[in-house]
Amino acid sequence: MSTVLHPGPAPSARQLILNGIFAENPVFRLALSLCPAVAVTTTVLNGLLLGVAVLFVQVLSSVTVTLAKRLIHPRVRIPVYTIIIAVWVSAIDMSLAAFAPALYAQVGLYVKLIVAFAIIISRLEVFASRQPLVPTFFDGLGMGLGFLLALLMIGAFRELLGSGSFAGIALTPGKPLLFFALPAGGFFSIALLMALFNWIERRTQGGKAGPAKSAGGHGV
Amino acid sequence: MSLNVIQPKPSLSARELVRIVLSMSVACLAGAAVLGIVYLGTDRYRRASAEATERSAIREMLGLDADARLLEVRQYLVPGARQVVYRAAPLGATAGTAHEVTFTLDGALAGERDVPVAVPVGKELTPLGRLFVATRAGLPAGFVVQGETRGYKAPIRLFVAMEPDFEIVDMRIIETTDDPGLGAEVAQPWFREQYVGRTAEEIARLDVTRDPMPEDWKAALVAFARRAPDGPARHRALLERERRKPIYAVTGATISSRAVTEGVRKTVDHFRRRWWLLAPHLEGVL
Repeated sequence: MSTVLHPGPAPSARQLILNGIFAENPVFRLALSLCPAVAVTTTVLNGLLLGVAVLFVQVLSSVTVTLAKRLIHPRVRIPVYTIIIAVWVSAIDMSLAAFAPALYAQVGLYVKLIVAFAIIISRLEVFASRQPLVPTFFDGLGMGLGFLLALLMIGAFRELLGSGSFAGIALTPGKPLLFFALPAGGFFSIALLMALFNWIERRTQGGKAGPAKSAGGHGV
Repeated sequence: MSLNVIQPKPSLSARELVRIVLSMSVACLAGAAVLGIVYLGTDRYRRASAEATERSAIREMLGLDADARLLEVRQYLVPGARQVVYRAAPLGATAGTAHEVTFTLDGALAGERDVPVAVPVGKELTPLGRLFVATRAGLPAGFVVQGETRGYKAPIRLFVAMEPDFEIVDMRIIETTDDPGLGAEVAQPWFREQYVGRTAEEIARLDVTRDPMPEDWKAALVAFARRAPDGPARHRALLERERRKPIYAVTGATISSRAVTEGVRKTVDHFRRRWWLLAPHLEGVL
């Protein structure tokens, strides 16, 4: 995992949130959970709903792990993390089915898959199991927001180009570039947006930092 | 992590083993408690929204306005007594009375009574399915009957909507676990609208073919399903040619296509026979 551990005093809330959105954006920087990011982002609304679900699961799981870390035996920590994630995913799954049935019908299948999202378990192992409550909460929030933002951007990009609409409202007649609505187009969209992220970072840092750290993720 | 697995580790002491088991047990118990609470908190809303979806699907299938009355008839089997109970009440009612009619399996009337809607049916009764009767001015204006058929893997549940003369007006798949892209394609509008407009007699003799569907028929079915302005006219124009032909199967999903056709056939057939028995006893509640 290419995540930097944070030795010494934990960073501030603002730093942690910005870290999740930019420096360690789960999709564009860590390249984690790309498959679901491609699967659901044919429209911006699907991306939004799954992003919100991931945000909740990440924050709730991180907080649970940091509160219960003394009770979790190190030898079985990964199974226990999985149980914690699965509990929160099921809770959110049930809530969505009850309160947003129309949206749930579209993304329900993917919500259940959040259990296996690499980004969530990696934050539990890397951050939540080592840090106190407050920084963990903001780290989870930042990572969740980073993922949500990434899904929103990919969704908007693909829906605009692939279906010629935004949030279901048709903007152009027909489908300008259907390719982007297809799965292969999803990966190209992520690559293009990743390049944009790199470019922005290069510009804002103005050559202060060296070359961007490689983002060698290979999770689900 | 993978390295940890490969490296030999000192065997666990009994004390540590107990702690591991405790750690996992506490996690599982706490998780189960959270899920139980969430379930109790959301179940009511989930059921209410499922009912609302069902109600609007029924109205849509029959083309009803919001104020047409809908009667729900639940059907139960009394295993010991070899009897079938029909319990009729306005759809979604939580108060008032339900009318219960009991028949023996060979169709003889065994009893009839009014019971409060709030009183649940006996635990020994096995649910057999439901049907919905839309009424206008005390006469049936259409039926939606729930049917079930054996799909490729698990049962497929479907709704068949009929005119008072049992001509099919719509068909929906409400539950299927067949594979997306193959068996699940039977829920596609172009497939399910093939049944629409066929009479009960035609449905009884309906067959399935693996021939490709004519393009114009497919386009007409899709337009019809999308409620396009010219949809009904295009559908009607081609129906005369197609109604004598079999149902066109979904490519690669002949078993599911046959299962749905068989399900529609059985549902219509059973309902027709039941309805003649049941209708005289429902006059008071329609």
